Amino acid sequence: MKNLIKIGVLVVIAGSLWFYIKSKQAPHIAQEKVLLTVSNAQIQGLDPIRVRDNYTVNEATKVYEGLLAYHYLKRPFELIPNLAASMPTVSSDQLVYTFTLCEGVKFHDNPCFPDGKGRELTAHDFVYAFKRLADPKLQSLNFWLVDSKIKGLNEWRQRYIDAANVDYTEDIPGLQAIDRYTLRFTLTKPYPQFLYALTMVPCYAVAREAVQYYGAEFMNHPVGTGPFMVAAFNPLDTKIVYHKNPTFRDKYFPSEAAQEYKHMLVDAGKKLPFVDKIVTHILSEEQPRWLKFKKGQVDIIDISRDNIALEVIQDNKLIPALQKKGAQLFSALEIGTNFIVFNNAHPLFKDNLKLRQAMSMAFNGPKYNKLFYQGAAMLAQSILPPGLAGYRADYVNPYRTYNLGKAKQYLAEAGYPQGKGLPVLTLEVVTNSTARQKGEFFQKCMQAIGIKIKLVENIFPELVKKIQTEATMLHAITWTVEYPDAENFFQLLYGPKQPGGVGANYDESASMPCMKKQWVCQIHLLGRSYMSDSTKWQQKVHPSFIYFTNPLQPFTKDGSKMLLLQTVLVA
Amino acid sequence: MSFMSLYSYIIRRLSYIIPILVGVCLLIFFIFNIVAGDPTIILLGKHANPRQMAELRHELGLDRHWFIQYLDILKSAFTFDFGRSWATKQHIAPMLKLGTWVSLTLVIPAFVVTSILAISTALLAAFFRGRLIDKGLVVLTVIMMSISILVYILFGQWIFAYKLGWFEIAGYEYGFPDFIPYIILPAMILVLVNLGSDVRFYRTVFLDEMYQDYVRTARAKGLSERAVLFKHVLKNAMAPIITNLVIQIPAWLLGTLLVESFFGIPGLGGITLNAINNSDFPVIKAITILSAVSYVIFSVITDVLYTLVDPRIKLS
Repeated sequence: MKNLIKIGVLVVIAGSLWFYIKSKQAPHIAQEKVLLTVSNAQIQGLDPIRVRDNYTVNEATKVYEGLLAYHYLKRPFELIPNLAASMPTVSSDQLVYTFTLCEGVKFHDNPCFPDGKGRELTAHDFVYAFKRLADPKLQSLNFWLVDSKIKGLNEWRQRYIDAANVDYTEDIPGLQAIDRYTLRFTLTKPYPQFLYALTMVPCYAVAREAVQYYGAEFMNHPVGTGPFMVAAFNPLDTKIVYHKNPTFRDKYFPSEAAQEYKHMLVDAGKKLPFVDKIVTHILSEEQPRWLKFKKGQVDIIDISRDNIALEVIQDNKLIPALQKKGAQLFSALEIGTNFIVFNNAHPLFKDNLKLRQAMSMAFNGPKYNKLFYQGAAMLAQSILPPGLAGYRADYVNPYRTYNLGKAKQYLAEAGYPQGKGLPVLTLEVVTNSTARQKGEFFQKCMQAIGIKIKLVENIFPELVKKIQTEATMLHAITWTVEYPDAENFFQLLYGPKQPGGVGANYDESASMPCMKKQWVCQIHLLGRSYMSDSTKWQQKVHPSFIYFTNPLQPFTKDGSKMLLLQTVLVA
Repeated sequence: MSFMSLYSYIIRRLSYIIPILVGVCLLIFFIFNIVAGDPTIILLGKHANPRQMAELRHELGLDRHWFIQYLDILKSAFTFDFGRSWATKQHIAPMLKLGTWVSLTLVIPAFVVTSILAISTALLAAFFRGRLIDKGLVVLTVIMMSISILVYILFGQWIFAYKLGWFEIAGYEYGFPDFIPYIILPAMILVLVNLGSDVRFYRTVFLDEMYQDYVRTARAKGLSERAVLFKHVLKNAMAPIITNLVIQIPAWLLGTLLVESFFGIPGLGGITLNAINNSDFPVIKAITILSAVSYVIFSVITDVLYTLVDPRIKLS
């Protein structure tokens, strides 16, 4: 009898617990519009100066804002004012940039402010934000954005490297708040790409009160001016919940668009943001992300090549079964280039143009695209990807066409008929399964003309070290755009930046000066002829991102809106 | 055994932690400072330049004499002040504490259920030794051991969470009882993964005991097979059972890496994985040191528990 009572009590407790949990999980009638997104990697805190990877950028841009932004519906990319009231005035010597800020922009309501009410954004907040970026004690890994570019900023940083405290009250000649709404940057030398830096998260406005109130934990208590706010954030969490910022200024959906985005103008002029809440699930593994998406627990997802792409895409189109369900597929080129670098300092390649050209033509680009990108990538004709000013859609690189016969002929002319006499070449790749598979594909392509390739895998620092010391024969690299200027790619051909730079041969004094926008086309042509002649770079593809929207959420049926929610509304 | 002698035994055994930690720290120092690549290149990535690398090295204290750096690791091992994570800038100690609590919510139920099921099944197999039920269980456990944990995870998540909708696909909520729906499926998978090897181990232990003289004597005295099994065999097999149980705990806590990653549970496994992915050396160092410490502590607990279950064992 006693045992029966015990069992009964246990059953009642378990039942109550079960009902409690179920009631908490029961879907509430949706009064608010919620966007359910997913991040493929851990979010490492939301302090603008510490943001490094794309996943964290996606989250930080929901909360923080910068002076300038991109017009997301225009191509090539176009800069537009964001927290600035207009585009800056620039002095004739291209050194002084003066911004006027929007008035009435408020920081999020937060306990760090008196009475918890967010105060108005001023030019001093940007001065403070740039000083934080350069603060030697904070060691922001994004300092390169302003390194040696703003007058007096490097000197200020240098002064405090060994000091106990950094003095933020000290004036910096190149970084001045003229009045409450006027901000002036003075550069050390002309640098038109500076405006692009201002669109990047590390240059976004932060409130001094928030930094001081939260101290080292500031990165977990983001306080910005953006459309969404987050109460508290823990980098260990697997979910971030954002609520609409009730004091967000009047911002409207764009009313102009490039031809390919004209269909998105149905929402032109509507007030942003469109959703009340965003929930970001952080899931590093693919299967749970995909299952959550199929279950309707995630609205938008990017499709990876390895597994689910096979279940979703055929010939770059959504499979009919998913089309019937009302799902939508969006494909967009990533502004980046995936390529293999010949080390021209190596005696084998240095004066042997024909060898490089033979290898370039033996590379089966179309098959590579199909195997690794489901045919969704674009075969690169130059190092410059589409979407940037200077990109020429009509340009066809004569050495980028897969032609095995010609490749064999060139190899013979290079002095190595059918690869005879040519030593085994090494291709250095970074250690990961995709890089290895791509390397093996290259190996197979070269085998077809008799060239033997040995694949060497390296951890990233090791690969960088080898590139810097010109210790590779061939190495595989992907470069993704940091700002939409051809300079960001062409600096790889002459600059010191690794990977892919000319390394030890780089002579700063002889390097190209910073490019002006109008030079871009000329430089592109210059680069084109450089590549046609020397084939230093064997371009492969511009990879793509594929998005796929969820048909299960009624207000997200229009996939194009979903993309915009991810980009225009949030950024 | 008197309380004082037990106390002095524990103190003596715990003092072994000192040379162990000195050795572990040396190993960590060697691996991270000599074998591994320059962390500043990893941290600065494609924008690494010699000047900023030097500044970062200075800020992280990597330009100090190697012996000072080694002493720093040693100090952190004894004070448990591991500083801040390079990736998230959080204090490592509270971060690991939170991760441990989360892992415990998953590991404790899985560990308890596995242990009870494994011991019961092993007793059953031993009771029916040589018969069909025993042979069937042996085959089943071998099959369970042969299947990769990934298969359990992928299949379980797809069938039970997605297709049948019985459990959450992934995620975690802090606080009791909110976390329960999120840990049921991963805990069940942990049970299945560990059950096979545990049943095999305990079955061997029970069978070893069953051929001892005291068992023959008990049977000769006319005790029933059930009484022999539960009153004598089980009691005498407690020493190896406890060894296996207690020494497994640290491995359970840190060994749920894949399960936590697939189910989005922010526990110690996830912290370890993220630290490795981000080359977050201070966190990796802290986890390595804490693992070494916990192995020593749990081995002492095992020894002490021996004396409680078997009065013949004296600690000296």
